[in-house]
Amino acid sequence: MYYIIVYDVEEKRVGKMLKLFRSYLNWVQNSVFEGELTEGQLEELLMRAKKIIKAEKDSIIVYSMDGKYMERKIIGIEKNPVGNVI
Amino acid sequence: MKRPYYIFSSGRLARKENTVFLYPSNPVQHGDKKAEINTQSIQDKQIAEDFKISSELKETSPEYGNDEKDNDQRIGDVNDERLIEVEETESELTEEDIKEDDENTELTPKPKKVIPVEDIESIYIFGEISFNTKFLTFASQNQIPIHVFNYYGYYSGSYYPREFLNSGFLLVKQVEHYVRNEDRMRLARKFVIGAAQNLLRNLKYYNSPSRTGKSKASEEGMKGVVPVEDKTGINDDSAFALHPLTDQIDGIESLIPLIEKAGNIQELMAIEGNIRQVYYAAFEPILGYDFEFKKRIKRPPNNAVNALISFGNSMVYTAVLGEIYKTQLSPLISYLHEPGERRFSLALDIAEIFKPILADRTIFKVLNKRIIQENDFDKRLNYAYLKEGGRKSFVKEFDERLQTTIQHRGLRKSVSYRSLIRLECYKLVKHLLGEKEYEPFQIWW
Repeated sequence: MYYIIVYDVEEKRVGKMLKLFRSYLNWVQNSVFEGELTEGQLEELLMRAKKIIKAEKDSIIVYSMDGKYMERKIIGIEKNPVGNVI
Repeated sequence: MKRPYYIFSSGRLARKENTVFLYPSNPVQHGDKKAEINTQSIQDKQIAEDFKISSELKETSPEYGNDEKDNDQRIGDVNDERLIEVEETESELTEEDIKEDDENTELTPKPKKVIPVEDIESIYIFGEISFNTKFLTFASQNQIPIHVFNYYGYYSGSYYPREFLNSGFLLVKQVEHYVRNEDRMRLARKFVIGAAQNLLRNLKYYNSPSRTGKSKASEEGMKGVVPVEDKTGINDDSAFALHPLTDQIDGIESLIPLIEKAGNIQELMAIEGNIRQVYYAAFEPILGYDFEFKKRIKRPPNNAVNALISFGNSMVYTAVLGEIYKTQLSPLISYLHEPGERRFSLALDIAEIFKPILADRTIFKVLNKRIIQENDFDKRLNYAYLKEGGRKSFVKEFDERLQTTIQHRGLRKSVSYRSLIRLECYKLVKHLLGEKEYEPFQIWW
């Protein structure tokens, strides 16, 4: 499943969230990550994220889709190309 | 789903914040040898400072392997001198001359690139990358094999991490099937038949009239005519094989029955060699006579098609190796090839079956659709050297093909080409355990 995960957390937790998400998904923009994950990997990621955030103040939104039927258009610069040929 | 990462840039790979960081290094202005040496030594000193180990310097010039062993204990400056020495005694066509064409003259440092470790299935290194043991251990913990290619794009070797799926029982069975000659021959024959059938399928695919598309000659039913100026690329995958490949097809069909009768490995290898020879003769027509290919020459290849075949084969080999790693099979014990001292011979065996499907078809596509053209090769080396841009294109096409899914007849679900390789390994396991006779994968399209 292809996932786009966005979060909005208080400044003091932003660093930890970044470090966590970086090991699972590609960084696209500040607080925006996307990539392919299996069910198990998603559960793992969200479980660890839940331990970092304060549920009353922070927010994470998970969008899921089938990677094939997806269009992705970029306006302005592409801050981080998402590809496996570097 | 995890995917392989192909790294063409130069720089340093490191483990940081529990994931993989790539720090690209500044590309050098061509002709400025001093600057190159300085960047190298600055990078090296940085690394030496960070980790206080001198053996990293070996990583920057992998082709000079064994000579570096006795420099183990010496640090910093002395090794730098060796690097300088060695670079100055390059062959006639120095790396400098070739780098001229490859590198841009930007000096602005590219920012670091973060790669999510959970997304990495394996790493292919084409550029000049340094890394350290901390990184290798990290790769090992995450079951990531690392395949290294040298500057000219040829396969150097792999870092195959510690086995995480161990089965002593399966290992014993693998060896048993090697030691008992009849069992060994049975498996070896299956591999050769599998490869031959896929080769045949390839020829039939490129020979069928539907592939000749809308070209004038085929409309007029002139099957034996090669279109002279039809380079418009209307016809999709290759389509220039208007010269009937029936000779080669008949040739291979007549050789296949001999496989069953082969008594020992040498006979089998001989038949396999003959089949390949006939097969290679069909390359020129399939490529529309745009590229010369009279004889298969490797180590080193002497022209464009040979270079592509070598490159394609090494990509198949590493893909198969990566899949074997994910199973309980030991890649060291093989049946058709002789298990050697330093090679993962089982990967060679299984690769035989997939080379026509993965490597050869990619080569035809890439050349016939002009994704790779004459100017992607260096003509000073008789077009035998594929430049970085060309290699990137080939790798992208190959990767796309690996990810393409097909509807599997037996399993009745869609599987990717990569999964087909994994399934092949599982079929072999079932055969070794005595559950089901191994039938090699046959491509049906």
